[in-house]
Amino acid sequence: MSETDKYYVERCLDGHPDDFRHLVRRYQGVLLANLAGKLGDKDRAEEAAQETLVRAYFNMSKLNKPDSFFSWLLGIADHVAKEHHRKEQIQQKRETIISFSEEIPPTEISDDYSLEAAITELPESYRKVILLRYYGKHSCNEIAKQLNLPLGTVTKQLSRAYAMLRDTLQQSQQATNNEV
Amino acid sequence: MNCEESKEKLVEYIEGLLDESQKQTVSKHLKDCQTCQTEINELTNIQNRLINNSQEITQSNLENKVMDNIVREQNVMLKNKAAKANPALKLRKNIMKSPLVKLAAAAIIIIAVLIGLNPFEPGITLAQVIKPILNSRTIIFDMISGTDENAMTIHEIVVDSRIRRTMSNLPTMTMIIDMDNEQLLSLDTVGKTAFYADIKGDLGDMTRSYIGFVREIIRQLQEEQVENLGEQIIDGKKAIGFQGEGKNEQVTIWADSQTAIPILIEVRIGQEMAFMMKNFVFDAQVDESLVSMEVPNGYTLKDAQVNLGNAKEEDFIESLRIWATILGQGVFPEAIDTGATMENMPVLIQKLQQLNIPEEEGTKMGIDVGLGMLFQQTLDVSGNPWKYEGKGVKFGDTSKVVFWYQPKGSVTYRVIYGDLHVEDVSPENLLK
Repeated sequence: MSETDKYYVERCLDGHPDDFRHLVRRYQGVLLANLAGKLGDKDRAEEAAQETLVRAYFNMSKLNKPDSFFSWLLGIADHVAKEHHRKEQIQQKRETIISFSEEIPPTEISDDYSLEAAITELPESYRKVILLRYYGKHSCNEIAKQLNLPLGTVTKQLSRAYAMLRDTLQQSQQATNNEV
Repeated sequence: MNCEESKEKLVEYIEGLLDESQKQTVSKHLKDCQTCQTEINELTNIQNRLINNSQEITQSNLENKVMDNIVREQNVMLKNKAAKANPALKLRKNIMKSPLVKLAAAAIIIIAVLIGLNPFEPGITLAQVIKPILNSRTIIFDMISGTDENAMTIHEIVVDSRIRRTMSNLPTMTMIIDMDNEQLLSLDTVGKTAFYADIKGDLGDMTRSYIGFVREIIRQLQEEQVENLGEQIIDGKKAIGFQGEGKNEQVTIWADSQTAIPILIEVRIGQEMAFMMKNFVFDAQVDESLVSMEVPNGYTLKDAQVNLGNAKEEDFIESLRIWATILGQGVFPEAIDTGATMENMPVLIQKLQQLNIPEEEGTKMGIDVGLGMLFQQTLDVSGNPWKYEGKGVKFGDTSKVVFWYQPKGSVTYRVIYGDLHVEDVSPENLLK
């Protein structure tokens, strides 16, 4: 179970497609959190996460550095999320035209995923660390190894990420309070 | 320690990364400092939120959905890519053309779906979960091949030692297998023809029904070899997973958390083979005539007897000859494994027709290729070392190695060369 991403990527490329399973198991939580944050809805996140993984599988030969599978996967997820947004906007515009209404309702982001939404707003390197730590259930040491960073950097990034998340969540809390 | 220093260390403190003396320094500072206490409370607050959220999110299990999607898309891609030569479709079409070639192809498919059993470490109870698997008189389930790109579903009705088997890529064919007498009755439901095949010998000894195979593995598992995988959602139900590992096999059973009835069983064998079983119905009422070995009314019995019993080295060498001369135009192909064989069956049938090879001879060739595949499967499941190295080797080349393996209980290796002569080679010479 503790094989590296690189190992499984190469196994898949060597004609053992079933080994992709291990990568799915490893990153599904991370992807779901990231996508729930971006799309604000569990069902949509699941759909997008599946799409991301299937797309990753079929494009694996384009991955230059098998070591950086995770960053690459996250990039695909962001792209899929963007596409989903675009599709929804088009859909909404159509509906607006059909209903002759002027207003386009904004996509609702449910409060359940405000934390994940805040995570997706973090700077890239902080986002990765938080996702791996909590949704990928990696230890700090494992993260350091995987991202090729000193342990001290990982804990510092975590510390800053916590501070930023706290600020964002407080702000959105205040914003909702003000609305009420 | 001042607040600045303490703040820097808080994350490491929570994560348990500090050594004992540092830990004590931070603890001591926290006791005395209100600000830092608030800080750490807020930290653990956000951490708890993250942990809670992650627990909820990571409950979803995408694994099977993603793998299914991949197989599905791959099939679509294969179909599009090979619109002119879709193996599965071609196979079916050609099979329908000629009764004898049909026998040959059927034989191959039968072989492909019977699998060997390697005895491994001795025996357990996962009492509740495995009870229905072990004790039900009838079991109905679907079996899906996990690595085969053309993944077909095999539907089975098992009654005692009889099996009624149908396959999604051959919808007009039904097989009834009598495990006790090692006989197989194949029914063509459109042409209304039937034939018997003998599966005695190695094949009979080494093969079981899938459910029989799983039963054997389960019986031989030791409690301490079984890992509890915890709870997950499988097919929309809460399920508990157990995973057991043998020398050469791994079996994972997911059972309904409430009823303990198995929902999904995944099995891996040897280097390549994997399959899963699902849609179980245990102890259903099954009409016994469904598993009768009598030729049903309205069917004509073909007197061709097919013997699938043994796969010997000669058969394998014969299959290599066919691979190189008929399929490979004088050169050994890239691969000759189960997947490659299934894929090339239609090609073989086509070539045999182009070359005007009499049907009887063609049938024999089909069976030889199938037996060759079975020979490899036998090696694979028995855990003996083997390797195919024939890619690009010219047929007739006396110096190049095409295949080597170590027979069971032998010290030396059997090495097959490009001209198909065989040598016994000691381990130290094998490296060359």
